[in-house]
Amino acid sequence: MVEISRRGLLAGSAAVAAATVVGARPALSSDATIEISSIWGPDKPFQKVVDAFNALKTGVTVTNRFDGDYETATAKALAGIAAGKPPAMMTTGWKFGYYARRTLGARDLNEIDSEKAASIIANFVPSLMPLVTIDGAVIGLPWAMSTPITFINSALWQEAGLDANLPDYPDTDWLYEAARKLDAALKGKHATYRSALALSNNEWTSQSFIQNAGGYIIDPDGKLALNSAEAVRGMELFCQPAHEGLWTPVSGKEQDAAFESGALAICTTSSTRAASFPFGAAKAITARFPGIPGQARKMNSGGNFLAVYARNDEQAKASLAFLEFCASAEGQKIWSEVGYLNTSVHDIPLINDFMKPAAGQLQDGLTAETIWPGKRGLEGQTIWRKWVSRMLMKEVDVQAGLKGAHDELAAVLQDA
Amino acid sequence: MTRSFVAKLAPWLFVGPAVLSVVVFLYGPILASAGLSVVDWNLLSPQVDFVGLNNYRSLLANTDFQLSAWNTFLYCVILVPAQIVLPLLFAVMIHAVRGSRMERVYRGSLFLPTILAYSVAGVAWSRLLNPINGLFNEVLVFFGFGPSRWHTDPDLALLCVCLVTFWKSFGLNMLLWIAALANVPDTLREAARLDGAGPWRRFFSIELPLISPTAFFISVTTVFSVLDDIVGVVDVLTGGGPAGRSSNLLYFLWQQGLQFFQFGPASAVAMVSIAIVLAITCAQFWFGEKRVHYQ
Repeated sequence: MVEISRRGLLAGSAAVAAATVVGARPALSSDATIEISSIWGPDKPFQKVVDAFNALKTGVTVTNRFDGDYETATAKALAGIAAGKPPAMMTTGWKFGYYARRTLGARDLNEIDSEKAASIIANFVPSLMPLVTIDGAVIGLPWAMSTPITFINSALWQEAGLDANLPDYPDTDWLYEAARKLDAALKGKHATYRSALALSNNEWTSQSFIQNAGGYIIDPDGKLALNSAEAVRGMELFCQPAHEGLWTPVSGKEQDAAFESGALAICTTSSTRAASFPFGAAKAITARFPGIPGQARKMNSGGNFLAVYARNDEQAKASLAFLEFCASAEGQKIWSEVGYLNTSVHDIPLINDFMKPAAGQLQDGLTAETIWPGKRGLEGQTIWRKWVSRMLMKEVDVQAGLKGAHDELAAVLQDA
Repeated sequence: MTRSFVAKLAPWLFVGPAVLSVVVFLYGPILASAGLSVVDWNLLSPQVDFVGLNNYRSLLANTDFQLSAWNTFLYCVILVPAQIVLPLLFAVMIHAVRGSRMERVYRGSLFLPTILAYSVAGVAWSRLLNPINGLFNEVLVFFGFGPSRWHTDPDLALLCVCLVTFWKSFGLNMLLWIAALANVPDTLREAARLDGAGPWRRFFSIELPLISPTAFFISVTTVFSVLDDIVGVVDVLTGGGPAGRSSNLLYFLWQQGLQFFQFGPASAVAMVSIAIVLAITCAQFWFGEKRVHYQ
């Protein structure tokens, strides 16, 4: 048995303690825990991105806090910022761009660390960066972007005797004629078929129609442009199937449910449905969103970005570390499971063939969804939707509806 | 500490927490809303602009606010009587089978929707009412009728919200009526029956006067709940649409405050809503309390 003297024990203990101190990893300046207020729960691919990042043990630990939809998350962030406890980052809808920058104070990535920001931004297609640049500040990455495309129930399509070879660039003439043929062949005769078409009664499909007709909701100079002849033509074509009885406007959830159950034959909606529609039942094929005959297409997109709200420099830099991972090929690959478009320069394979038309639209060029400016800008979307509903219901004709929308929006956006 | 001091302090200690919570979570926010309704402030900016009554003026000129106020009136006219009378009817019928095995089945099944979350109720009903292939339309078509657009029809949206709200929340009033009816002494009913009073006479002359305190309580609380409960159903089922046809004042308030982040106008809506509820409640106390029969 080895005898240990008191002196030996002390010397040994001191040696062990010294070795521990010397050998220990020095505290990293980037050691931090950041909380992200997000619209995705733990069952969504965003959590996988967070988990993959945390597994790298970079010294930054990310917590994903599910805060509901954009509005709820924004309200919580507002309360947090007012109380001096902002979330480090928040999933911010593009439509909140001005509000995020001007009111909530979303940080310019370049201002946090210009060198790192430049290396992160280099991972994305340069032409898309203006979509996340507000007032000259880069407040996010264009990493959650989708665009409306056309989903077709191939079984119903086939039963109506329509050609399964879809055109690369469908237009409204082709689509509406197909809808009429579907109704003629199947309405009242088919067990599940109930309606031919749904264009989605939301702001971005109507915006696409106006833009595809050569008009704007808000022109490149930032002025409301709903009174133009092009806007009237776009909206007339948008409302036409509803007025003809080919389209029964319902909520997005009801529309999805009808499409999934085989009651609805054609549905133009977000390309993210390519990941979420149960295609086994719907047996879908996809095509680009319908253009307008004789007009150049100018499709829009929608989505969100991760904006940094941390006031604390350490938290802000830790947020950049996470964004760096999000922008990497590894992060993008995990992220692509959501069904968003690959906006990065990395070669990420499409999650399925349904995404091809969306990827095609991205290559054709996409504009951003309308970001309503001004202090009351967030009311803009609701006002526009209200007038679109009135036009679809024929409460007002398209010309009067656009004038009504223009006047009401002009009053709300007067300080923009 | 003397016994008299403790005796004086005790009531305050008992009511203190309740009073404190009412002050902090009710009167405090009302006062804060009153303050916010006369300023232009985004809660973050150091700049707070006093705008006087401008928020109220612009509100009164806002056609969406006017439509929401009108809808609120319609909701009250339809739902308050329905939420009082129909649950009473159910309660009377359940009371008639009291003691039987079916009493619990009826009571439980009618109360069941009350325990559901509004979001769940809204989603379930949106499936049933789906204008493209909802169950209701399938039934209509099966019997040879044309499909309806239900909650997406501007003329039916408000009625659909009423239907779902009623289905979701009538159970609580029904339970209150059942409890009130159970408290009416059977000896009185029996005496009236022996005196030759029929069922209608017994109900209107014996039972109704004796359950009038419950009737008064239900009539007051139903006004609050009708204003409040609808918001959840509107949000999930119609989103206030189509074109604002199913919105009400509280949904409008929620939009202004938590969708548009316009706290001044939202607070003005809150103050207007409080004033309306206060006026209705005062009227109820003024008219109703005299007619209540306390044993």
